Amino acid sequence: MAIKCIARLSCRRVIQDHLLQASNEAAVGGGFCWANLPPELLWEVLLRIEDSESSWPERKNVVACAGVCRTWRIIIKQIVKVPQISGKLTFPISVKQPGPKDFLLQCFIKRNRSTQTYHLYLGLTNSLLDVGKFLLAARKCRHPTCTDYIIYLQAEDISKGRNAYVGRLRSNFLGNKFTVFDGQLPHAGAKMAKSRSSRLANLKQVSPRVPPGNYPMAHISYELNSLGSRGPRRMLCNMNTIPATSIGPGGLAPTQAEFTLSNVNPSPPIPIFHSKSASMENFLSGHLSDEKNGLVLINKAPRWHEQLQCWCLNFHGRVTVASVKNFQLVASPENRPAGAGPEHEKIILQFGKVGKDLFTMDYRYPISAFQAFAICLSSFDTNIACE
Amino acid sequence: MASTLKKIILKSCDGKILEVEEAVAVQSQMIKNMIEDDCANEEIPLPDITGEILSMIIEYCKMHVDGENNSNNELIARDADFITRVDLNTLYYLIVAANFLNVKSLLDLTCQRVADIIKGKSPEEIRLTFNIKNDFTPEEEEEIRKKNAWAFDYKD
Repeated sequence: MAIKCIARLSCRRVIQDHLLQASNEAAVGGGFCWANLPPELLWEVLLRIEDSESSWPERKNVVACAGVCRTWRIIIKQIVKVPQISGKLTFPISVKQPGPKDFLLQCFIKRNRSTQTYHLYLGLTNSLLDVGKFLLAARKCRHPTCTDYIIYLQAEDISKGRNAYVGRLRSNFLGNKFTVFDGQLPHAGAKMAKSRSSRLANLKQVSPRVPPGNYPMAHISYELNSLGSRGPRRMLCNMNTIPATSIGPGGLAPTQAEFTLSNVNPSPPIPIFHSKSASMENFLSGHLSDEKNGLVLINKAPRWHEQLQCWCLNFHGRVTVASVKNFQLVASPENRPAGAGPEHEKIILQFGKVGKDLFTMDYRYPISAFQAFAICLSSFDTNIACE
Repeated sequence: MASTLKKIILKSCDGKILEVEEAVAVQSQMIKNMIEDDCANEEIPLPDITGEILSMIIEYCKMHVDGENNSNNELIARDADFITRVDLNTLYYLIVAANFLNVKSLLDLTCQRVADIIKGKSPEEIRLTFNIKNDFTPEEEEEIRKKNAWAFDYKD
């Protein structure tokens, strides 16, 4: 309650100017005008919409309110909390913000082999065949030396490349190492949260105004295990932009506050910025020591099932078809909070097959839907054979 | 309940005088506080509330006091009947007055009513309904339109 009051006060202060302007105009225009409604009352009204419209498609009503005028937009933006707190996705930026802290957000991916496209949806019911809320789309582009998966915010016309570019996943020539690029600087001015002050900077959600480009934000590699191609493969995701401390008590993951929708045509290629080129090289040659501060995710080792004669993971009913592509990611042992036992091995991302071209993707804090989607796309592409 | 039949006198901004039973008047937390502070012995002027709105609020409070022993469902039905008779213009003044007089259940009811009217409308329809000016720049408008397109994107 106390928090709410503080928020209201600051909200009132922010929108006072707009309100004053609006009421002046209303006085000139004459007639009754809801623009005169005191902000604390408008807040009460909009709060009821946010509360009742908690799932899609009703949630679009919250988005509609944010498009009415500036005052409404400011209030809605303050009422709508980030997914890690609310567990809800609302505005497009939600797909780039860390997922819920307390549960896995259930999504699914549809693959279209003929168009080489992938669509990510938020599951709305437990039945996968039902409609979902569209989140992101990706298109596969083969190049002589690598493969790109270009990720967009719009489902339609993605072949024309006119859509909002979010980022991309790029594989190496062998298809066993991948880099995820973010179309906008992941968290300008708020690097790894080492000191208290930079944590505060993260909290304030500073909105970076930086040119669109390609900023490396994660590296993924696949390795054969000691049994060679006969056993489950090993997966390693180095999340450069997420501090390892984010999963500890009181930890924070960087959170982007605004989307700058760019109409950048992804081909010809946008310059790829190697913000840490040395570490890129280290990564490519297999040395990850430079990435100490970033969170490292590894796949949970499957158990060998004697009766079924196969490697098994427990997906709690979310995966129904056995596939080498299925995986569950957890924080690497070094990254886990001190004193956390194996029961603390929280699954951060799980991906698995449920139909010919249908896959589930469940993710949670500290990774975002965009990061989760990119990691899953790498599983589609990987060339490491496995029995 | 009716230990006292003391009347509270309220005066609207347009000079209308209304005598209200204390049990009804204390539905307003503001008036209740005034009574407790012994400030309600003379008429209470309400500078921003017209007689018409004040009568409606008293009608509402009376309905709640009289219906105290009714079932919850009955009260909800009466609330719904009360609020759906109110036009948008009146609704605005009811919210402001309910907030000023601090009648919590009426404030809930009116805010919920506005929320229900908003639901299902596009931003343009909301502006038209509530006579709100679009103060976005064309650039902002375009960006919001694009983002809204994402919100309306579904798997077919």
